[in-house]
Amino acid sequence: MHQTLPRREFLERSGLGFGSIALGHLLANESVADSASRSDPSGQQLSHKLATAKHVIFLFMQGGPSHLETFDPKPELVKRDGQLLPDSYKSFDLAQINTADAKLMACGVPFRKHGESGLEISDLFPHLAAHADDLAVIRSCYHDSFIHGPALTLMNSGTSLLGHPSAGSWAVYGLGCESRNLPAYIAMTDGMFRNGSATYSSGFLPAVYQGTYLRTEGDPIQNLTRLSQLNETGQRTLIDQLNVWNRRHQASRPGDSRLDARIANYELAFRMQTAAPELIDISREPSAIREMYGIEKGATARFGRMCLLARRMVEQGVRYVHLVNNDWDGHGECLKNHQSQAEKVDRPIAALLADLKQRGLLESTLVVWTGEFGRTPIMQGNRGRDHHPYGFSAWMAGGGICGGKVIGATDELGFHVVDDKVHVNDLHATMLSLLGLDHERLTYLFEGRNKRLTDVGGFNDLADRLCKG
Amino acid sequence: MRNQRPAGTVPIVLVFVIAAMTCGGYERLMKTAFAAEGVDLWSLKKPVKSTVPELVEVAHRERVGNPIDAFILQRIEREGLSPAPQAERRTLVRRAYFDLIGLPPSPEQVATFVNDKSADAWPRLIDELLESKHYGERWGRHWLDVVRYADSGGYETDIYYRNAWRYRDYVVKSFNDDKPYNRFVQEQIAGDELWPDNLDLDPKRVYVVSDEKKRHLEARLGTGMYAFGPLVHESGLDAQKLCYERLTDWVDTTGSAFLGLTMGCARCHDHKFDPITQRDYFGLQAAFAGSIEVQFPLLTAMEINDTNQFYPRIIAVEEARTAYKLFQARVAGRELTAEEKEEKRQRLEAIALRVLELPRNAGSQPSSPYVGLMEVPTVSVLGHERPELVPTIRRLERGEMSDPRETITAALPSTLVQATGGSPSLPGPFGSRKELALWLTQTDHPLTARVMVNRVWHWHFGKGIVSTPNDFGMMGQSPSHPELLDWLAVEFAEHGWSMKHLHRLIMRSKTYQQASDDGAEKNLTIDPENRFLWRMNRRRLEAEALWDAVHSVSGTINLEIGGRPVVPPLAEDEIAALRERWQWPESADPKQHTRRGMYILVRRNFKFPMFDVFDAPVSSVSCPARDVTTVAPQALWGLNNRSVFKQANQFAERVKKEVGAEPPAFVERSWVIALGRSPTDIEQNEALNLLQKMTAEAASTDSANLLATLCLALYNTNEFLFID
Repeated sequence: MHQTLPRREFLERSGLGFGSIALGHLLANESVADSASRSDPSGQQLSHKLATAKHVIFLFMQGGPSHLETFDPKPELVKRDGQLLPDSYKSFDLAQINTADAKLMACGVPFRKHGESGLEISDLFPHLAAHADDLAVIRSCYHDSFIHGPALTLMNSGTSLLGHPSAGSWAVYGLGCESRNLPAYIAMTDGMFRNGSATYSSGFLPAVYQGTYLRTEGDPIQNLTRLSQLNETGQRTLIDQLNVWNRRHQASRPGDSRLDARIANYELAFRMQTAAPELIDISREPSAIREMYGIEKGATARFGRMCLLARRMVEQGVRYVHLVNNDWDGHGECLKNHQSQAEKVDRPIAALLADLKQRGLLESTLVVWTGEFGRTPIMQGNRGRDHHPYGFSAWMAGGGICGGKVIGATDELGFHVVDDKVHVNDLHATMLSLLGLDHERLTYLFEGRNKRLTDVGGFNDLADRLCKG
Repeated sequence: MRNQRPAGTVPIVLVFVIAAMTCGGYERLMKTAFAAEGVDLWSLKKPVKSTVPELVEVAHRERVGNPIDAFILQRIEREGLSPAPQAERRTLVRRAYFDLIGLPPSPEQVATFVNDKSADAWPRLIDELLESKHYGERWGRHWLDVVRYADSGGYETDIYYRNAWRYRDYVVKSFNDDKPYNRFVQEQIAGDELWPDNLDLDPKRVYVVSDEKKRHLEARLGTGMYAFGPLVHESGLDAQKLCYERLTDWVDTTGSAFLGLTMGCARCHDHKFDPITQRDYFGLQAAFAGSIEVQFPLLTAMEINDTNQFYPRIIAVEEARTAYKLFQARVAGRELTAEEKEEKRQRLEAIALRVLELPRNAGSQPSSPYVGLMEVPTVSVLGHERPELVPTIRRLERGEMSDPRETITAALPSTLVQATGGSPSLPGPFGSRKELALWLTQTDHPLTARVMVNRVWHWHFGKGIVSTPNDFGMMGQSPSHPELLDWLAVEFAEHGWSMKHLHRLIMRSKTYQQASDDGAEKNLTIDPENRFLWRMNRRRLEAEALWDAVHSVSGTINLEIGGRPVVPPLAEDEIAALRERWQWPESADPKQHTRRGMYILVRRNFKFPMFDVFDAPVSSVSCPARDVTTVAPQALWGLNNRSVFKQANQFAERVKKEVGAEPPAFVERSWVIALGRSPTDIEQNEALNLLQKMTAEAASTDSANLLATLCLALYNTNEFLFID
C-alpha cells in the first residue's frame, strides 16, 4: 500500500534504534509507533494503550523446563505414579517416547505454598519462592511444536517459520531506544543459543532492530576493542579527520540522509567503546550485591552475572534483554537435571527481582520466565521426561503486574491445558500490551501482508487481568 | 488435530504449522469472498509494447539517448522536474564496474576510460564488462537473494548442505553464458522433466560425456534451488509436517521468484488482495507433490566404479582409528611411559598417513570438478517420488489440518490462466512442473518478463519501476512508469530473453548516466524520493561488494571462480555467537580467505558477521530488495575489525611498493586506488597533517602503522562505501 512506504523509507533513512540515537534531534525517544501514526494516513495507527512496562527482561530456560517440577503441582500424578498412560492421551505425538507403553511419573520434588497469596512453587526454587507475591504464574501455556528448533523459533518470533523478527525486535520497532550509548536490544547466554543468531534476529524488519549479542566476558560486543596499533587519541584524531572528509562529501550530495546518519554513527561507535566495557565491568558493584546474585559462587556465577548485567542494562535504558540459561533438556533423570539447573538460576533470578524492586525499577520492568516447552507427565528411559508443548508454565513479574496469582490450568495429569489457554501468540500479545503496544497494530508490510509478532493469534491478552490486584 | 483426522485421509498438514501460517485475522476470513473473475489488476494484463513517446516539445531533447530516456524524460517534464546532467566520466566508470562486476576499477582502468574520447567508449566499456567472468558472480548473487540461497538448513542444528554451492555456480555460469531467461526459469522449475536423461555414459565412448548430456545435467542443476530450503533436523520425527513445509517453501519461493506474487496468504484462505484462491494454492502444491529432492552423482557410472575400487583405503583409515582408540583405552587414566608416548605418536601418524593416502580424485579422467576425500560428488536436485508414496493434497479449510476438505489436483492458478489463455489443468504429480515452466515462459505471459525486467531495473537503479519486486499484486506498489515497464518486458522477450541485452539497453540510456549529486531545489521539493529518476540513485555497496572492494584495493583479492564455500577466519568476538565452533571449518589456505564475498559460507543460523552488519539477507525466504540500514556496528567494523586493519596494512604495503613511502606520493596513490581519483590539494594537506599529528601524538606504535591507518581512514569514507 502506498501509505506504508513512507514508514519504511523513514526507517531506512533514520536508522532508528541502535544506530540512530546519535541523531539525537531526530529521535531521542521517538519510536516507530509515533512516526507511523504521523506518516501513515491509512488509519493504521498504533493505539497506544497505557503502558505499565518500559523494559523487558526475558529469562529463557533453554531445553524445556518441566512444568511438573516447577510451577504446576499435580497430586494426581503422584497418586498414579507408574501407571500406564490412559488411552485417551495416547494419540499425541512426542519427540522420543512411544505413548503406547508409557508410564506416568510423579513429580519428585515437593511443592509448598508461599507468601500471602499462597502461590505454589516447588522446592527447586527456594529463593524465588520468597517473591511469590510478585509472580503471576501462567500454567496454561501451549503450542504444537515438540521439537527444539521450531519450538524455539516459535517462542522467539511467534511462528515456527524462519525469517521472522524476534519479540525483542518488535518491541524496539514499536518503542525505539532510550539508551544513548547502548543497543536497545541485548541477548546473552550462559552457553549457547540453540538456534544461533536467529534467536535475536530482526528477520524481515530492518537490521537496526536486531538484537546485539553481548558476551558477558572478554570483549562484550564484536569489534568493540580498539586496535592495538592505535591509541585513543589517535583514534579520535582519525575520526575527526574522517568527519571532515565525510562532511565535505556530504555537502556536495544534498538530500541523502544516510550520509548524515553514517557520520553520526562514528560518534556513537566511539562512545560505545567506553560504554559497553563499563557496562560489563561489575567490579564496582558493592560486594553485598555481588553476593546477592551469587556471582562469587560456582553454580550461580554465570547466570548471576547475566542477571546483574540485565539490571544494569535496564538502568541505562536498554529496552529488551534476552537471557538464556542452557541445558533444561531432561530426557534422562529429569529431576537431577532440573535440580542442577535450578541451582544455577534460582538465586540470581530472586536477586534480580529484589534488586529491581529496591531501585524502583521492577514497576517498569517486565520479567518473564519460561522455556520452549514443558516436559511430559510420562517417563522416558531412566526417569526422564520428553518434550511437552501441549501444556506448560511461564511466569511474569514486574511491569505493572499484580503478583501472587495463577492463570489457567492443565488437566489432572498435567497433559493438556483445560482452562484459559495461553498460546505463545497470547503470551507475546500480553507482553506487547504491557509495553503499551497493540499487537494487532504493530505491523510491518512484508510479502504483501501486514505481518505481526502474533501472527493471527493473540486473542487472549492477559494484560488487564495480570495488572488487577 | 492430527489424531482426530478422518480415517483414510492423508494428513498433509499439522495443526502446528497452521498456527504459524494463518495469514489474516479470523474475523476477516469469513468476509473473504474473493471473486477471482472480477480481478482487475494491471499486472495480469498482457504487456503490449508501448509506443515510445515522441518528444518534440521538450526542454531536454538532447537527453533522449534511447527509448528508455523517452519514457523517463516525458514523465520528468510532466512532473515539472528537470533531469540531472550527465555524470563525470570518473563517476561513470566506477558506477559501471561496481554495477556489472561488483569490483572497483583499477586506477589504470579508470584512466583508460577517462582518456578514451571516442564516441563508443561507453558502450565498449559495457560490453567488456559484460564479457567479464565476474559479471556472472555479481548478477548471480542478486539472483541468489531471490531464491533464498544458503548452505545450511537453519533451525537448531543448521544442517550443512554439502552441495548447494553447485547450484550457486550454476547460477554464475548461467548469467555469464547469457542464458535466455526463459530457459533459466525452465531449468530451475523443471530441468529434470523438460530434459529427461539418465545422464549416463555414452556407451560407445566410455569416458566421454556428450555435450547434450552435459546440457541436460546443467538443466537439472537448476532444480537445485528447491533443495536448499529451511529444514528442521528432527523433522524425520514428523514426516508429514516436513512434507508440508517443503511444499510450502517450494510454492512460496516459486511464486515470489518467478511470478512476483506472494502466495503465502492463500494457504489459509482465498487471497484477500491477489487473484490466488486457496484452490490455486493447493493446486500448485499438488503440482509439486510428486517431486522429491534426490542426490544425483556428478560422476559417470564408470567413474563411480573407479572411486569404489579404492574403498579399502577408507576402511584402512577407520582401522587405524580403531587401533588408536584401543590404545587409548589401554592406557586410560595413567601417565604414559616413554614407549607409550612413542606408540601414541606412531598410531596418530598412522591415521594421518592413511588419510593422506585417500585419493582426491576418482577415476583417470574425472569429468566433473571434484572436491573431497573419496566423496562421490553429487548435486541435490529434484526428481520423482515413487508413485505409491505421492501424498494426496487436500484443501484445508482455513488451513486447519483438522479440517481437510476436497482433494485438489495439480492446476495452474485459475485467474492467471484466464489472463494467459489455455487450460489450468496439469498432468498430476509428475510432469506438472514442466507444464508450469512452459506456461510461465510463454512470450506474452503477463508476469514473468515484467517481474524480471523490474528486478534488473531495481538492481541497476536501487529501486524498481515497481518498488516491491516480489509483489506485483494488489498489495504491491503500482509501477512508477507502467509504459516503460511494458516496453522493456516485451523488448526483453523479443530479444530472446537476453539479460545482457537488457543491461546494454539500460546502461546506454542517458537516464542511467545521470549524475547522482544533482540537488536542484525544485526537484528535491517535488520528488525527494527520486521516484521519477531525475537523477541517478546513490548506492551503498552491498555487504559482498564492500568486502570485495576492501580486498581489491588492498590487492589481496583472489578472483578464483566457483567451488565449495570458503570459510575465512573469525576473531573470538565475531565467532562467539556460533553454536559449535566446528560449524565454521576455517579454510586452511590463506588465499581462500580473500575470495570474493559471494563464496563465503552462508549459514542460516550464523551469518558471516560483517555481512550481518551490512544487511545481507536473512536467506530463509526470497529477498526481493536488501535493506540499507546505517548502524553503529558498521562504524565499529570499519574502525576496529582486525581483518579490515590487516587489509589496510596490505593496502599500505601495496602503495609503498608502487610509489614508496614518501607521504605526498603515498597519499596521492592511495586516493587513486581507493577512490578512483587524485586527492584535492586540501585533502592532500589534510592527509599529511593527519600523519604528522598522529606521529606527534604517538598515536600509533610505528610509522608503518600510521600509513596503514591512513588507508583505514579511506576504507571508512562515505565516498568509498557509496557509489555515485
